[in-house]
Amino acid sequence: MKKVKNNLKADLQTDETEIFEEDRNNAEEAPYVVEMRNITKIFPGIIANDNITLQLKRGEIHALLGENGAGKSTLMSVLFGLYQPDGGEIFFNGKPVKIDSPNDATALGIGMVHQHFKLIECFTVLENIILGAEDHKFDILLKNDAKNKVRELSEKYGLHVDLNASIDEITVGMQQRTEILKMLYRDNDVLIFDEPTAVLTPQEIDELMEIMRNLSKEGKSILFITHKLNEIMAVADRCSVLRKGKYIGTVNVADTTKEVLSNMMVGRDVKFAVDKDEAKPADVLFKVENLTVAGKSHKKDAVRDVSLEVRAGEIVCVAGIDGNGQTEFVQAITGLEKIKSGKVELLGEDITHKSIRYRNTHGISHIPEDRHKHGLVLDYSLEQNMVLQRYFEPEFQKGGFIKFKPIRDYSDKLTAKYDVRSGQGAQTVARSMSGGNQQKAIVAREIEREHKLLIAFQPTRGLDVGAIEFIHEQIVADRDSGAGVLLVSLELDEVMNLSDRILVMYEGEIVGELDPKKITVQELGLYMAGAKRSGQAAQQTSEETFKNQEADDE
Amino acid sequence: MNKQSKEKKNKVGEWFKSFFVVTNDKEPKLLTFYKKNGTKTVIASLISIAAGLVVGFILMLIIAAASEDITVADAFSGLGVLLAGPFTGTSKYVLTNFGDMIFYAVPLIMCGLSVAIAFKTGLFNIGAPGQFLMGTMGSLIVALNINTGGGAAGFFVWLLALLVGAALGFIWGTIPGLFKAIFGVNEVIVCIMTNWIAANVVTWVFSSMNNLVNTGGGKSNYLITTAVTGNGTPDLGLGKLFNGSYIDISIFIAIIFAVVIFIILNKTTFGYELKACGSNKFAAKYAGMNEKRNIILSMAIAGGLAAIGGSLYYLNPGIEFNFGTAYMTLPAYGFNGIPVALLANSNPIGVIFSGVFIRYLAKGGDNLVTYNRYVADIIIAVIIYFAGFSRLIIELLTKRQRKMTEKANLKIAARTAANDDVSKESTVETETPQNEAAALSDVGETSDGSFGIDNTKDKEV
Repeated sequence: MKKVKNNLKADLQTDETEIFEEDRNNAEEAPYVVEMRNITKIFPGIIANDNITLQLKRGEIHALLGENGAGKSTLMSVLFGLYQPDGGEIFFNGKPVKIDSPNDATALGIGMVHQHFKLIECFTVLENIILGAEDHKFDILLKNDAKNKVRELSEKYGLHVDLNASIDEITVGMQQRTEILKMLYRDNDVLIFDEPTAVLTPQEIDELMEIMRNLSKEGKSILFITHKLNEIMAVADRCSVLRKGKYIGTVNVADTTKEVLSNMMVGRDVKFAVDKDEAKPADVLFKVENLTVAGKSHKKDAVRDVSLEVRAGEIVCVAGIDGNGQTEFVQAITGLEKIKSGKVELLGEDITHKSIRYRNTHGISHIPEDRHKHGLVLDYSLEQNMVLQRYFEPEFQKGGFIKFKPIRDYSDKLTAKYDVRSGQGAQTVARSMSGGNQQKAIVAREIEREHKLLIAFQPTRGLDVGAIEFIHEQIVADRDSGAGVLLVSLELDEVMNLSDRILVMYEGEIVGELDPKKITVQELGLYMAGAKRSGQAAQQTSEETFKNQEADDE
Repeated sequence: MNKQSKEKKNKVGEWFKSFFVVTNDKEPKLLTFYKKNGTKTVIASLISIAAGLVVGFILMLIIAAASEDITVADAFSGLGVLLAGPFTGTSKYVLTNFGDMIFYAVPLIMCGLSVAIAFKTGLFNIGAPGQFLMGTMGSLIVALNINTGGGAAGFFVWLLALLVGAALGFIWGTIPGLFKAIFGVNEVIVCIMTNWIAANVVTWVFSSMNNLVNTGGGKSNYLITTAVTGNGTPDLGLGKLFNGSYIDISIFIAIIFAVVIFIILNKTTFGYELKACGSNKFAAKYAGMNEKRNIILSMAIAGGLAAIGGSLYYLNPGIEFNFGTAYMTLPAYGFNGIPVALLANSNPIGVIFSGVFIRYLAKGGDNLVTYNRYVADIIIAVIIYFAGFSRLIIELLTKRQRKMTEKANLKIAARTAANDDVSKESTVETETPQNEAAALSDVGETSDGSFGIDNTKDKEV
């Protein structure tokens, strides 16, 4: 009956929107809202997608799981029209479609939050959200209407953003929320989340999960790219697994376990807990005294009166929600940002006013927060990036002339040891590598450099379980070889698993020093959210159920 | 005998074929060549030039259609004249014109190098005209005030003049560098201001009231030439060889500088730093590079190069310097360094060719009497405009290359698979690049002419 009606409609009216509506009506009968059949995509030297089939049911949350470089992002880029597949077809509501550009994808109602945000830095949050979908009357922007709509959305889903702030002055987390809002603003039906939780706090992740569930209840279909198994178990209905560009299988999440999924993804069993011995802290390596760093956009100081010590042979973790001064703190101690007051000591030497090169060559290794901004020269090849802080050493140059062979050998050695995958080996331009491999390259470079102190800011950001396991092992090995590790992490699992001592940073201050063995994730979350403070920082909370570990360490 | 020659013919045929199709399981040689970045850059530049010429020709046709004096036939012959560059007229003048073209290309090349090295450091050196003028001033003060009358003394004064000019340009380039590094002032603004300061300083210094330079005997508003004092650029008989052309040794100096800049940028740690600063200054800072020093040095070197361009140009015994209008007009050579660098994609070696090429067209424009030289300028401008698309063209070429590579790889894979069936070996995995590369090189080593794969090699895989 319905079909007849629709046919009549189509006969009578040739209006495009009507046809589109018809599509949507028909769609309810098609089992899959998006179906990608036998997609193949080849890049020079690498088959990113090899005959992959992906079926997305209406209203489901479908997780796409795979290691870095497994081809998840490529597959989604094909769906979103950024890449043209070399083979295979895409069906939308049961009909074959050709998606040549993101515009085509948008017209079909497919929206995507990319792993690397596509935001215009000098525009405000609001301008970014409405960009390309501006409401206007007589060519005049109706910003207020848009603002109200965005406000509604942001309140409804708890995506808090400062609509008038420009992108370059807000945190990575807020940029992510802007991206999600951008998609919601366009009323998209198929939502692709490309590793959306990488930068969110535990609470925010819970909220996002809730949002995703609500969205799927409303009939929106979600493709959720991730390699965090917990999240898949928590929120996804089905899960498709890719490995090295190949399709491994699709499972119902309810009928499976984390172990099975990780095995499918990595091809072997993975340990989830970090295997490590008791830390044997030795002498104090690194000392920060009363460090204060001025804030960038606000008058309030970003880091206030922070003091801490890192001993040789221990992993000290600065935990906290994104944007609580960790960025400024790390940039200050590594010399990237100016210090307002305070003192930084390395091996008993005052390095407060030393140059970055001095710090680099006198024992500080630094895995930076933003791999694209600080970590890599994206236009340089992998090998050139591997010697970014070492190119001037006699090993790699003579009389100012670069010794190319040793650099190639060194780079090959590191990439082999850390399994950094790239299309053209050492000569691959860093820009063309996948995010996970870029991160692995940086980690390799920093850990392999001679150092006393390793400052690692989110060292496993964007990595899969296999790689995380490996990097964690390397960090523990680094600790055991006598280095001090200052870990800054937003991920609770990492904080709990890896650290020997936890310092919680909240609004630029250290609000608690905790022992990972004696504290629960929930308590840590309360500290991170600023709901709790330990004795030294605020005397009024003396009746805490957990111990202040400072005394133990003395 | 016949058989042998036939075989030989076959071999030549095979060799010829290997350029275009998959032979011996190797990708076509042309494709290998095509894959190189340099090749693509050159092809992209050539396509830009061709596109510019087409648009230029359309312009000529439009002008021909609109004008009563010019016919469509004139447009065709005009294009011929333009393309012929210096190679029109009697053979005697062809030589002269060719020599002149080379000489006039020297300041363009030097200014192009100046802009290119700044580009590589992420800076836009629009101050080349000012640096050019300062170089001119420095070298002329030396060369015109010391009267040697030629010989070895003349050569040393010439060398001294060149060095003084370079030093002044170096200092002049440092100014925007300092402002940028220390105060964060955009180098373009400072460069534009220093340009006009230079123009006025030069006019003031050379005006006859100051007696700073011996202007006696010159035309009004013109300085005397270095021919008078005997400190001109040596030409080693090149002028005679090219039938009285201006050509001298400056072109060799320009080429040496281009090679030196190329080496600095690509082979030294200093160049590594400069390019790192240019491409990502945050990462450069993170790596501990002295970003500020690099900005200042890069601008200073850029200034020195542009200044040497000015010095070499005006130290030629035949070129007169008009100081009377300097305060009103900035030398076009300085600005033209920008398109020269753009056309060469900031490659120092490429700058030599793009500099000569622009002079080639300009020379053709001079001969374009049916139109006039402004039309030639418009066409050059169009070509340079299209050079801006060279990046886009490179991308298109890369896309094409990928398709060709895939096709070749598929063919190779098919053959490998077929061969593997014969040798009962498992198929060579082409999943990871390492394997693929290994497979390719493996195949490549069995150059016995057949398609067979060496089994011992295969086992290693």
